[in-house]
Amino acid sequence: MSEPLVVAERVEMTFAPRGIFALGKPVRAVAGVDATVARGEALGVVGESGSGKSTLGRVLLGLLAATGGAVRFDGMVLPKPGSAAWRALRARMGIVFQDPFGSLDARRTIGAQVEDGLAIHTSLSAAERRAQLTEMFVRVGLDPQRLDAYPHEFSGGQRQRLGIARALATNPDFLVADEPVSALDVSIQAQVVKLLAELRRDLGLAMLFISHDLPVVRHLCDRVIVMYLGRVMEEGPVAEVFARPLHPYTRALLSATPMLDPARRLTREILPGEPPSPSDPPSGCVFRTRCRHVRPECAETVPPLREFGSLAHRVACIRADEIN
Amino acid sequence: MRRLWLPAGFVALIVLIAAAAPLLPLMDPVRQDVANRLVAYLPGSPMGRDEFGRDVMSRLIWGARSSLAVAFASAAIAAVIGTALGLLGGWFRGLAEVLAIRGADVVLCFPPVLLALLVVTLLGPGTGTLILVLSVLYLPGFIRVSFAEVLSARSQDYVEAVRALGARTPRILLRTVLPNIAGPVLVQVSLAVASAVVLESGLSFLGLGVVPPTPSWGLMIRGARATMEQAPMLLLWPCLALTATILAMNLLCDAVRDVADKRGGGGAPKLRLVDRLLPGLFPAPAAPRPLLDVQGLTVEIAVPGGIIRPVEDMSFRLDTGRTLAIVGESGSGKSMAATAIMGLLPPAARVADGVARFDGEDLLRMPEAARRKLRGGAMAMVFQDPMSSLNPVHRVGDQVAEAIRAHRDVPAAKASAEAVGLLKRVGIADPDRRARAYPHELSGGMRQRVMIAMAIANKPRLLIADEPTTALDVTVQAAILDLLADLRREEGMGLVLITHSLGVVAEVAEDVVVMYAAQVVERGPVSQVFANPLHPYTRALLAAVPDGDIEPEGIPGVVPRPDRWPPGCRFAPRCTFATEACETPPPLEEVQGQAVRCVRWRELRA
Ligand SMILES: Nc1ncnc2c1ncn2[C@@H]1O[C@H](COP(=O)(O)OP(=O)(O)OP(=O)(O)O)[C@@H](O)[C@H]1O
Ligand code: SF4
Ligand code: SF4
Ligand SMILES: [Mg+2]
Repeated sequence: MSEPLVVAERVEMTFAPRGIFALGKPVRAVAGVDATVARGEALGVVGESGSGKSTLGRVLLGLLAATGGAVRFDGMVLPKPGSAAWRALRARMGIVFQDPFGSLDARRTIGAQVEDGLAIHTSLSAAERRAQLTEMFVRVGLDPQRLDAYPHEFSGGQRQRLGIARALATNPDFLVADEPVSALDVSIQAQVVKLLAELRRDLGLAMLFISHDLPVVRHLCDRVIVMYLGRVMEEGPVAEVFARPLHPYTRALLSATPMLDPARRLTREILPGEPPSPSDPPSGCVFRTRCRHVRPECAETVPPLREFGSLAHRVACIRADEIN
Repeated sequence: MRRLWLPAGFVALIVLIAAAAPLLPLMDPVRQDVANRLVAYLPGSPMGRDEFGRDVMSRLIWGARSSLAVAFASAAIAAVIGTALGLLGGWFRGLAEVLAIRGADVVLCFPPVLLALLVVTLLGPGTGTLILVLSVLYLPGFIRVSFAEVLSARSQDYVEAVRALGARTPRILLRTVLPNIAGPVLVQVSLAVASAVVLESGLSFLGLGVVPPTPSWGLMIRGARATMEQAPMLLLWPCLALTATILAMNLLCDAVRDVADKRGGGGAPKLRLVDRLLPGLFPAPAAPRPLLDVQGLTVEIAVPGGIIRPVEDMSFRLDTGRTLAIVGESGSGKSMAATAIMGLLPPAARVADGVARFDGEDLLRMPEAARRKLRGGAMAMVFQDPMSSLNPVHRVGDQVAEAIRAHRDVPAAKASAEAVGLLKRVGIADPDRRARAYPHELSGGMRQRVMIAMAIANKPRLLIADEPTTALDVTVQAAILDLLADLRREEGMGLVLITHSLGVVAEVAEDVVVMYAAQVVERGPVSQVFANPLHPYTRALLAAVPDGDIEPEGIPGVVPRPDRWPPGCRFAPRCTFATEACETPPPLEEVQGQAVRCVRWRELRA
């Protein structure tokens, strides 16, 4: 693996309650996560809604300042959000959002929105920006003649391409794709995934690919981390994790994935109960309230991520040896 | 644009006449002529003379100057300051929010007349004082409107996207947030101007506003009231001027808002006249009737270049307790068909043809009032984008309770309790506490659960779910699909599921409709269609699913734009099997419970 571009060490992100009286408990969305994204590597992040995937993505981008631990980008510690250094760094990182409808401003032309990054970070003339824009549109498979159209004239897949074009306009090194294909239908999904794979290859882009669609992660990413309630449950090369899931949560996740072929369907394990609130996580193993292998000792200490079997495959479960 | 001209012209005319008063050949508005007091008509005074013999027309026009100046100035001051405060309060929260919102609350506590009295006592009556009083009075409205709008805008991804690009705060506020809150603020401006004209009249009438003998509409009404019996017409003129001005302002602001809104739309929904006059044109269906029977549904949208048809001749049937999935790519018209059935088409679109019988009654020709009664009651819809369907400034529990009370007459407390029960039913942890949360405090999955709770609040018999689990992760999706299956079984509910996940279709639906470019290209039982797809498009879709070991293949190209549909088979430009034969439009052919629209299906099957 080539040199690391983004390195997160024991990153924590706690949201303090807001409002004048600051009622309620703080919410710990990310609780001590280690993650590395190498240059040109695609790291998948999967997990339940509210497990902290998007927060992790925003922390790695520096859009949120971590409340604990450290994030380094290309060797330097991320500057404070809003500072001049931070704003300059925006040109080197991009984000693609999940919601193709909410992520574009309905009242500005798509050309103006994709152009924003260039207008903010470069001193190119309007004509030069137009030329780059046209090139970017072609690159993501959009008709450059429609630069002056408004978002409502585009379908979901096209809007997602617009979102990708906007994120890549400044030619960044690192892209966080936050469920970019989740809202798309399957033929378009395959196209966008292919587009992302191509862009990644052509531009040497490092990518954090957040998704709830495990099969897509399997086809697009090199490695995957499985998150639950702000913590990493399992980590490893995609082929390994999907072929031999070690953590009870990863297994539940895989079994819930709808499969076309009835023969390939795993017996559905519907997780009992509901995910605990991140403001009040269970002690010890955070998955224990829904785990079918739970033992009293699971409540005592937070299970560390340890290697299991192959070198890069790691799991955070104290009973991993027994249940596998 | 054309909608703007009429009201804009009218407002401009009023303003122009008022502004040009010194240039017009008018009599001196303050010159008294007691000999001619209360005369109804004099040459040179077409509207007569008032109680001091002053020329009414001249006073009306000169009065417009003070009345309109006060109204526009106070509305403009309040709009600028109020919007700025709301913007800052909503964006920075914290102290800015406390100052803006609490300040607005304090002002709202004062009765307007008391406030006016206070200021007049301090500063003395006059036009300036009046403008000050009115601006302060209208400030809270602008603060609150813009605050609420900013709050909802700031949680939107497009705002986050601009921030992620490194834009400075002023740029974000001015370029991105302000245009998005402009609509409601403009409406507020129209309300403020209209009510300022009224309040000016009222306060001047009480002697707290414009000082006589300067004419103003309020003073004219005040004067005319005293002589109402002798000269009723004196009251009519200023009232008429007042009403016309307010109306014109309202129309203008509405038009400005519509024109400024780039999200599309415009124009009211239309049903053909013949459909209104002859609702029973189509014969009643034979028993046993399906829950939902859609025949030949066609939707048209008038666009600048002509008319497009995002849904064309769509037919399907859904029986009680069953699930029908509609699949197809972006732009194939699935959502448009669903919204047409629900009567929720965007303003630009209209149903051009077809019937959609729900329990035998045609939804498409039903009066809107009747349809509204069904919507959220006997039939409900869950949307793809829960955030835009939930109100950002209300607690989710209240919104669910509101959905209950919109259709059933239950006391508020009972509705709230029921709402908590529904939130629990859809699998929300800690429903008591979550009921008090605002939408932006919930995760995407939870927001979708709230939407489902609202949809099932009144035990619908038909639920149309447009990509209900698209944004959710698989464990939640599995739970929600189970939930929908339970609801369907227990309540005998029919479910139309629009989804892009063929895996979901395979697991939960009994029948499937595959749409492409506004048309049904294949239809039939899921087991049959998936095991034995007859249409090349269905095959290609199945090959795009990533859940196998083979690299998924996307379908090259996109669905063509509705105004550029190929003349023959619409899939031809992307179809690997296209030949010359495909240049004629293929009909939908029925074979053993399966329907297919492809000229070559027989050869390809072999
Ligand atoms: N307001 C509008 N003005 C013009 N065309 C429109 C408008 N709304 C939708 N369309 C067009 O109608 C067609 C069908 O849109 P619709 O949203 O129903 O498709 P869909 O299959 O639901 O797509 P998606 O899966 O992205 O939601 C598209 O080609 C779209 O561009
Ligand atoms: S540590 Fe215990 S509770 Fe956690 S996953 Fe392992 S067995 Fe289950
Ligand atoms: S009619 Fe021709 S182009 Fe259309 S789907 Fe069939 S084979 Fe392909
Ligand atoms: Mg849709």
